[in-house]
Amino acid sequence: MCVSYTLLAAEGSQFESPGPGDFEYPPIFGEGTFFTKPMLIIVVATVLVAVLFFLAARRAAAVPGKGQFMGESIYGFVRNGIALDTMGREGLRFAPYLATLFAFIVTLNISGIIPFVQFPATSRIAIPLFLAVISCVIFNTIGIRRQGFLGYFKNMMFPPGIPKLVYVLLAPIELVSTVIIRPLTLMLRLTFNMFAGHLVLLLFILGGEFLLLEKGGLVGIAAGSISLLGSIVLTFFEGFVQILQAYVFVLLTALYIGGAMSEEH
Amino acid sequence: MTAVPPDDRGRRGESDAFAAFGLITGGVFFWGGVGWLVSEWLDNSLFVMLGLLLGMGGGLYLVWLRYGRG
Repeated sequence: MCVSYTLLAAEGSQFESPGPGDFEYPPIFGEGTFFTKPMLIIVVATVLVAVLFFLAARRAAAVPGKGQFMGESIYGFVRNGIALDTMGREGLRFAPYLATLFAFIVTLNISGIIPFVQFPATSRIAIPLFLAVISCVIFNTIGIRRQGFLGYFKNMMFPPGIPKLVYVLLAPIELVSTVIIRPLTLMLRLTFNMFAGHLVLLLFILGGEFLLLEKGGLVGIAAGSISLLGSIVLTFFEGFVQILQAYVFVLLTALYIGGAMSEEH
Repeated sequence: MTAVPPDDRGRRGESDAFAAFGLITGGVFFWGGVGWLVSEWLDNSLFVMLGLLLGMGGGLYLVWLRYGRG
């Protein structure tokens, strides 16, 4: 039994559905080295974002070129649409960081649907983890600076208007939800949106290919074609999700900073 | 201290949903965790359930306290 199964698999007539294993890449430069495809994507994305904003800022011409226009559009969008909207004029200080964060996450996400790259680096949890930790450090630091160490935690943990005894129950909940749940959900939301999206695309494309080329027959060709056509639609949908998730990450970071600047509940 | 009056902060509503989620989850996490520790200590699994319910109740109460009073 076992042998025949292996034979079938070797002939390729067994479909192996994509799974978490598809997110593990071997080192690019062979055994023993550590540099993998997701790392390469991160390095390239970092350079791209840096160059984009650097060029946009340096050659600030009256009639903007293509690169400058793109850089200015992203910056303007984050500055007016996120920083000003959530924090008011005080938020302008954070616009550069938020814009960089947005461009960085979008680039890493979008790499999931760029032909031949086709891997969203943000589906590896380390990257959202690190970005979420940075966000967490920033909004807590701002809160402590604005309201003092005790004042910040007092405002956070002891909302007015409840009996003193109930604070024993509620104060830890407030603390956990602000300091732990916030960065945790930032991280998980981004990671698993990208993870699931990539998995769905893999399933539609690999499954379609298998049906079309390996299974064949009327059913195989019909189902495979539908699956591949569906994968095109899903690719566009993924593009939308990837931009949306970057927006959500940056928006929530801005809201947390804004909340820490003016705690008043 | 406040940069903009609370009413003018247009995006605030979007964060309320996430904050409510965080409060309930935080409550379940924290008091569920405490309940689990107590149940390990006393060898009685009833405390996990008590902790979870207590945390959920506390989280819901905080959500009501912050957003439900109009």
